[in-house]
Amino acid sequence: MECVVEGIIETQHVEALEILLHGLCGVPKEHLKIHEFCLRSGPNLGVVASELRILCDLEQPKPTWTVRHVGGAMRGAGAEQLSVLVRSVTESKISKNALRFFYALGYKLDHELLKVGFAFHFQKGVPITVTVTSVNKMLKLHATDEAVPVTPGIQLVEVTAPASADNYSEVVAAISSFSEYLAPLLHLSKPGVSAGVVPTAAAAAASLMSDGRDDAGQSLEQNCCKGVNGYRLPGNQTEPEPLSPILDPPHISVPEQEPLRT
Amino acid sequence: MPIKWLLHWQPNAGTTVNSQILTEVSQCVESINGAKGGRWKATLTYYRPILRDQSAPTEYPRDLLGISLQDQPNKYYFIIRGQRIVLEADLTIQTIMEKSQSYKARVSLYFEGFQYQLGDFQLRVGKVVPIHSENLRGIIMEVEYLPLSSLDKSRQIMDDFLDIWQETVSGRSLPGHFMHIEPNFSEYGLSDQYSSQHTAIQYATAMAQLIAAGRN
Repeated sequence: MECVVEGIIETQHVEALEILLHGLCGVPKEHLKIHEFCLRSGPNLGVVASELRILCDLEQPKPTWTVRHVGGAMRGAGAEQLSVLVRSVTESKISKNALRFFYALGYKLDHELLKVGFAFHFQKGVPITVTVTSVNKMLKLHATDEAVPVTPGIQLVEVTAPASADNYSEVVAAISSFSEYLAPLLHLSKPGVSAGVVPTAAAAAASLMSDGRDDAGQSLEQNCCKGVNGYRLPGNQTEPEPLSPILDPPHISVPEQEPLRT
Repeated sequence: MPIKWLLHWQPNAGTTVNSQILTEVSQCVESINGAKGGRWKATLTYYRPILRDQSAPTEYPRDLLGISLQDQPNKYYFIIRGQRIVLEADLTIQTIMEKSQSYKARVSLYFEGFQYQLGDFQLRVGKVVPIHSENLRGIIMEVEYLPLSSLDKSRQIMDDFLDIWQETVSGRSLPGHFMHIEPNFSEYGLSDQYSSQHTAIQYATAMAQLIAAGRN
């Protein structure tokens, strides 16, 4: 199982998002270049039509291959209430003849994508991965060198974390909490429920970038400890600190706790 | 990894395999000073496509085999012999196959027995039985030569070993003999350097031979 939220951001603000993520995570980013093949079962094959994704990691010196099955999302009233999608996901590393194998089984290529960007892997109580990618389509079959963006000027942000039936509520809470940090730049929601870009993005990005310029002589690590544009981030911090007034979005308001009555 | 040949017991025409033969074969290994070690096991599963319309003609392979090997406990292998494809994956590929509901595991067979150490050779002799049954379907033997991993370079010594082994077994006047059929690994895109994928292909080939022998 995994917990996931997605959002979009204008490419012009991606650098600011990267600065923010670096500050929040305290780990270096990893470059990402994934050739993704979406396969569908052929006619008459299977109880119902099925879909598999074959991922080829082009960032590795020798490309590595993975097959990924995304199952149904958790259902029920409780799941509806969650701001994070909880779904079943199974992955397996696979040898490089993966495509030939699944074609032989009767799967057909539905579409292919090239996702280029970066990822941060870090711990916030649970292991979380944030990917920021430009999603490209190929004009000719498998021609990754001639890929063009599906949505020019817009990039996809995904926040995922592995979960199990026992701990998913804890993971959902961790992702929700982390998403709040990014709220000034982008809105994260369940996949397929796009909320578009956020109006505060330009101001938040400008603010983050100017902070980056002010601290031009310092390393990002120092930025991280000093705080990125008002995000106070001690190096070993795990719990979210309140957001700065400039970036604090109106919808994230923590009500004051009522005094205990005895 | 060390080169390995997989041999299967080919019964003489009109005879069938039985557990007495397995016992005698094991005694043969001990008679040439094979030191008995631990147990060994491999599992082979036949998969069939799940079709919505059973009557419609199908182009989907009916010879998909899944194999798990003891020396690669985190890996799973798929073979489509008709198309000369061998695939290496994690164990979770079985869950993916199950969840995608396009192919179903139908029959599984165990290959199980004991390991023997004989100098630079590691021998594994065992029975082939369906899961949940003691119905003997065949006898299988792995001959592994630890110092070499090149198929070409090891061919001479493997041939020599096989000659000695055949001679030892023939002394018992058993109704059959061991056969080695080397698949054309290059057709599967594999090199001369031995790997677990070579082993998986050998199991698929040996199984096809056992089935053919069972029909005769």
